Amino acid sequence: MATNIELAHASASATLAPRRSFAEVAARFVRTKPLGAAGAVIILGMLFLAVFAQILAPYDPYVGDYGLQFARPSAEHWFGTDEFGRDVLSRIMYGARIALFVGFFASFIGCTIGALLGVVSAYWGGRVDLLLERLMDILLAFPQLILALAIASILGPAVQNVVIAISIPVIPRVARVVRAAALSVKENVYVEAVQALGASRRRVILQHIIPNVTAPYIIMLTAQLGAAILAEAALSYLGLGAAEPTPSWGLMLSGSAPSYAEKAPWIALFPGIAISLGVFGFNLFGDSLRDALDPKLRKG
Amino acid sequence: MAAGARRSFALSIFVALAVVVGLAVTAVHAADTPRRGGILLAVIGADPPSLDPHQESTFATLQLVAPLYSTLLQTDPYDYPKVIGDAASEWKISPDALTYTFKIRQGIKFHDGSPLTAADVKATYDKLLFPPAGTRSVRKNSYSAVTSVEAPDAGTVVFKLKFPSASLLLNLASPWNVIYPKKYLDKDPNYFMKHVMGSGPFKFKSYTPGASFEGERNPDYFVKDRPYLNGYKFFISTETSVRAAAIRSGRAYIEFRDLPNAEVEAITKQLGDKVAVQHTPMTGQWGIAINNMAKPFTDERVRKALTLGLDRYTMGRVLFPLASLKDVGALLRPGTEFSLPEADLQKLPGFGKDIEKNRAEAKRLLAEAGYPNGFKVVLKNRNVKLPYQDFAVFAVQEWRKIGIEAEQRPLETAAWFADGRDTGNFELIVAPTVEASDDPDTFLRRYTTGDPQNWGRFSDPGVDDLFSRQSRALDPAERRKAILQLQKTVLEHAYYMPGLWWTRNVVHWTKVKNYVAPPNHYANQKLQDVWLSED
Repeated sequence: MATNIELAHASASATLAPRRSFAEVAARFVRTKPLGAAGAVIILGMLFLAVFAQILAPYDPYVGDYGLQFARPSAEHWFGTDEFGRDVLSRIMYGARIALFVGFFASFIGCTIGALLGVVSAYWGGRVDLLLERLMDILLAFPQLILALAIASILGPAVQNVVIAISIPVIPRVARVVRAAALSVKENVYVEAVQALGASRRRVILQHIIPNVTAPYIIMLTAQLGAAILAEAALSYLGLGAAEPTPSWGLMLSGSAPSYAEKAPWIALFPGIAISLGVFGFNLFGDSLRDALDPKLRKG
Repeated sequence: MAAGARRSFALSIFVALAVVVGLAVTAVHAADTPRRGGILLAVIGADPPSLDPHQESTFATLQLVAPLYSTLLQTDPYDYPKVIGDAASEWKISPDALTYTFKIRQGIKFHDGSPLTAADVKATYDKLLFPPAGTRSVRKNSYSAVTSVEAPDAGTVVFKLKFPSASLLLNLASPWNVIYPKKYLDKDPNYFMKHVMGSGPFKFKSYTPGASFEGERNPDYFVKDRPYLNGYKFFISTETSVRAAAIRSGRAYIEFRDLPNAEVEAITKQLGDKVAVQHTPMTGQWGIAINNMAKPFTDERVRKALTLGLDRYTMGRVLFPLASLKDVGALLRPGTEFSLPEADLQKLPGFGKDIEKNRAEAKRLLAEAGYPNGFKVVLKNRNVKLPYQDFAVFAVQEWRKIGIEAEQRPLETAAWFADGRDTGNFELIVAPTVEASDDPDTFLRRYTTGDPQNWGRFSDPGVDDLFSRQSRALDPAERRKAILQLQKTVLEHAYYMPGLWWTRNVVHWTKVKNYVAPPNHYANQKLQDVWLSED
């Protein structure tokens, strides 16, 4: 009892580290992770293009100039025109919308469901864990793109179906990583303490476990973004994503591009560069974010 | 030079020339002498929905299985559209043109060894003309004149007609009407959707869906010394560039349907005189079926707006180099006997050359129909690039100019047929009309009530009557009058939306001999006379 009274009147002697502003965090990130910052710039550039495509695009991506098919890159059409005389630059700008929409939503849905399943699996344990983990084993048995391909071909070609097709293979990968983190968090004394105080499972998961597995969740989210953009391009290329004349990077690479590769290489070249740059940006940013959030890799 | 020496010199020159000419003639003759053996490697742009040509209307079915079957008659491989016999050795038509009697060749055997008799021909045509419940016969309305098919003996088949039909012989030469053995049809009329048993120059060897289809030489084929080839093999790919690459690399020797001009140029540039290109017109037109049962397309003003929104003349200029779609026309091939004259055509909605005027009229009609800002619609399509996709992209882009936002939705071949033909689960769907001949009965039946090819599901008693009248008319002038009126009626009410008439580039290695491309990719696919000059 005495001990309790003493504790109640004790004052903390340790000083808390000062809370940094977003600008300070960003500046530190740029200083310590220049490659990650470069990735962030690429991502922001893509976001900017996607949001302001309607203002920035010099031409309507759906309307072709039938007198100007296969025009070489020029001052009027920086990236040239395609087989219907449509401006390739404008289509790439609008294509960023689909790439980011699919990338963000597929990653978010896949990572969130995966993280929740991982936490539930870790916390519940027993049969629930066994069942969920075997389900994840089944999903993991298929390569990510092959599984997405199978799902997309069942659902049919549409952008929303691509989001579903890409997000499902993400679930087991994230579930595994988050489960491992949640198992570690679950063993902490403070979790045992709130359990002993009679907190409900829901409260323990929502208030004490999930906040402590956010770092691996964010890392997986950014890591999957690039892969999701690439998967969207691949599915569209294979005719399972958006359909013409929707401006989509993968679709621009397929369709007529291979047929006119010799005559008009710019039809395939610029969307190819856009896909590579987008995936490169997300991968750079994701890697740096992982390093920044991982205490083992953090310097100083 | 002495006179004797001069004579001797001239003689030796003459002899030398004779030898050279003789050798050249021998060489040419040798080059033209059919060589036996080899496998014909081909590429094809779609997977078949089923293997039964009676129930299907896609090249994906017919090109694969045509070499495995016989037909009663056929169009001459070297002289389209002349009709010659296949299983029938001869035939006669009664003076009143109501009875057609065919003699069946002796010695034709199915690949299981059983003989092909008149009973098999009767069973085949009974299935085509009077399809049993649960089966489909997409061309049955082309034979509305036929009341019965009889087989009085094993070598005779008799077609009885209720009225004379100018189209009947050409329709009996349809490559789709392959002869099946009766005993299999008796067990299951749908047996041939998944199985093959024919009497053609080749026997079925293997089929891997989505990948390949193979046939091997039938040593018991009824035509002596045919076929020349040991077999044939189709590789299946919906991607045009993949098929073109297969030709370029020599992995395939021929693409029977079509390759776009850009690919043809690239292939000929690379392979030079190793390849030949046969460019032909096509008995086929690319258009869009409008679901006349679904709102807002029950409203004629909306249908007219859609057709007015298509700039067909620019479409022809843009799509010809991309997809071989070229000529603006009505429901029968431009320039043929029963086609609509251009002056009449241009008076119909969507066929006038002033596109701005057409678009203004389309917007007016849409506003009048209650859609001043247009509407959203799904245009279903087949996931075959050439020429389906390019055609749809052009249409979608054109409609945006009158406020109609169409989303193109490509489907697998089987799903496309299921939605378009079988269930009517669509608003708009790309629905070409391609046939094995220019025959009006064959082409126009799809505009009659209840025809399996009437994907738009419209019904106009006036059209039905005109179809019936033209089908019965033996006087060409009278027939032409009914046919022109039928075309005008369909187009004035915008029941269906024709786009462009197709042309065809058949690219093949020059070592593929004796294949003459007819004006469609259905006829002359038996391959019995085709040979390879080298492997």
